Amino acid sequence: MLKLFDFPRAILHIDGDCFFASCEVAKNPSLRGKPVITGSERGIVSSLTYEAKARGVKRAMSLWEVKKICPDAVFLPSDYETYSLFSVRMYEIVRRYTSDVEEYSIDECFADLTGLQRPLNMSYEKIAESIKRDLDTELGMTFSIGLAPTKVLAKIGSKWKKPSGLTIMPGRNLHYFLEKLSVDKVWGIGPQTTAYLNKLGVRSALDFAQKDFDWVKSCLSKPYLEIWKELNGEVVNEVDTARKSLYQSISKTKTFTPQSSDKAFILSQLSKNVENAFIKARRYKLAAKKFFFFLKTQDFQYAGLEIKMNRQTASPNDIISLIANRFDEIFNPRQLYRATGIILTDLAEHKPSQLDIFGEVLKSDKYFKIFGSVDDMAARYGKHTLFLGTSWQAMNFRQHQGGREAKADRKSVLFKGETIRKRLAIPMLGEAW
Amino acid sequence: MYSEIMTLLGFKSKNAVFKLVGRLVDEGFLNKDNKGRLSPGSFYGAVRTLGYVEAGFPSPAEEELADTITFDEYLVGNREATYILKVRGDSMKDAGIVEGDMVIVERNITPRSGDIVIAEVDGEWTIKYFRKKGNVIFLEPANKDFQPIYPKEELKISAVVKAVVRKY
Repeated sequence: MLKLFDFPRAILHIDGDCFFASCEVAKNPSLRGKPVITGSERGIVSSLTYEAKARGVKRAMSLWEVKKICPDAVFLPSDYETYSLFSVRMYEIVRRYTSDVEEYSIDECFADLTGLQRPLNMSYEKIAESIKRDLDTELGMTFSIGLAPTKVLAKIGSKWKKPSGLTIMPGRNLHYFLEKLSVDKVWGIGPQTTAYLNKLGVRSALDFAQKDFDWVKSCLSKPYLEIWKELNGEVVNEVDTARKSLYQSISKTKTFTPQSSDKAFILSQLSKNVENAFIKARRYKLAAKKFFFFLKTQDFQYAGLEIKMNRQTASPNDIISLIANRFDEIFNPRQLYRATGIILTDLAEHKPSQLDIFGEVLKSDKYFKIFGSVDDMAARYGKHTLFLGTSWQAMNFRQHQGGREAKADRKSVLFKGETIRKRLAIPMLGEAW
Repeated sequence: MYSEIMTLLGFKSKNAVFKLVGRLVDEGFLNKDNKGRLSPGSFYGAVRTLGYVEAGFPSPAEEELADTITFDEYLVGNREATYILKVRGDSMKDAGIVEGDMVIVERNITPRSGDIVIAEVDGEWTIKYFRKKGNVIFLEPANKDFQPIYPKEELKISAVVKAVVRKY
């Protein structure tokens, strides 16, 4: 039995139920009650409604597989613009109650409610209920929420009852939840650790939580000790309120159809990805010192190369020239390719570097200024108003030729004054008669 | 709260704080609710004051602009609950809403009779007057060529129309 106050800390985990698919249903009432699937532009299931789940559809299934088991499924292209608008609304609604909100992912967030009963004049349960009511009614979809003393526990809570669950896990009832939960369902415990724990006789989350400190310390590494503490109601991971600004890596991958073995075309695809990765890097004032680029073949094999530079850069052309020099090491002209990708790593805050004798740094800093202007132009006239010549082919190519080219609604139903590149930052629900 | 302010300002008594707070409430910088709790008043937000003008004569325009709002603020109330739709057809033409208009709507509002609403009918959005006569609820078009809609089962009102925008 775990002994604990009910809420020494009150942490909320909020999780949008099949978020992308729900955004689509919230926009279009004719989809309600139907098996809806998003991700048609990629050819695989990215998000699916509970109706689709009930028919045996799973994430990452290919669309033709879905057609076999669920012929009446509605396939939609991902509309990330709308999903992002809903996502920001989710954070903002939670921020009405507390400023301590962690934007954990596009469809999840944590919130720290500790100490807010008096100022809000509500119990923690009531605050959680109220947040859920605001989210559900204002966004037109459902959310599942867990309220518990720590993040690890709150995450168990939000999964406990889905969809549209509100699970309150006060300290005195924790054992009731943990004894029914297999240990591999705990956030951060993977299959390897589960297998190991099972060998040691630990099967439920409660088995694990009830082990003593020394046992955990001698059997497992530090991250698991932290999970163990959190399962016992001790906060180790605070709600991280810093808005997402530091990335460990930035990656951009894009698939194109039809597949191609045209070197210049594939290089331009890569160049476009590099540009996009750096647009993001510059937005967060980051520069990379290492990068990895790769090609994906028709049969889903990867060929890639990692390059470490002697200084950090925030300009795509530095990297593109390095890639062009070594492209032939991974490129096989007899092979058909379906995607290219770039991952920027060793990211650090971008700062003016020390001068070198060859003047490379000066040149790079000059480029950095140029790309500052490119970003300004993009802010004013839309993304990719200016782009590198090396990306030209990719920029002038519809990413998916033929049947796969599916444009999200939002980009085809425009108001006067909106363009394909710039639209109002308010979700569009479509037409009303 | 009062004792915190007392130590913060170096006052000797809570009464002094009470007087100060009273003045701040009068000036609108603080709000006091019916239980006597304090909350920040109108100094929160991006109101510019004259003191920030850096050079030259203070412009009277600066002060006047403090009481203006943007189109965004004018058109959008609860931002997180606001959505837009495009109007199709002319069932609301006598209300001045025609094909192609943008309507700005808010979810999470209980409609009152006479409001223009977005309702869900047969899996589609429809824009109509919301009417309530006694126990009877129905949707009324603003065009005599169209019939009112009496729901057979539950009527799903999804949002209330707050504004119409038409750009020429």
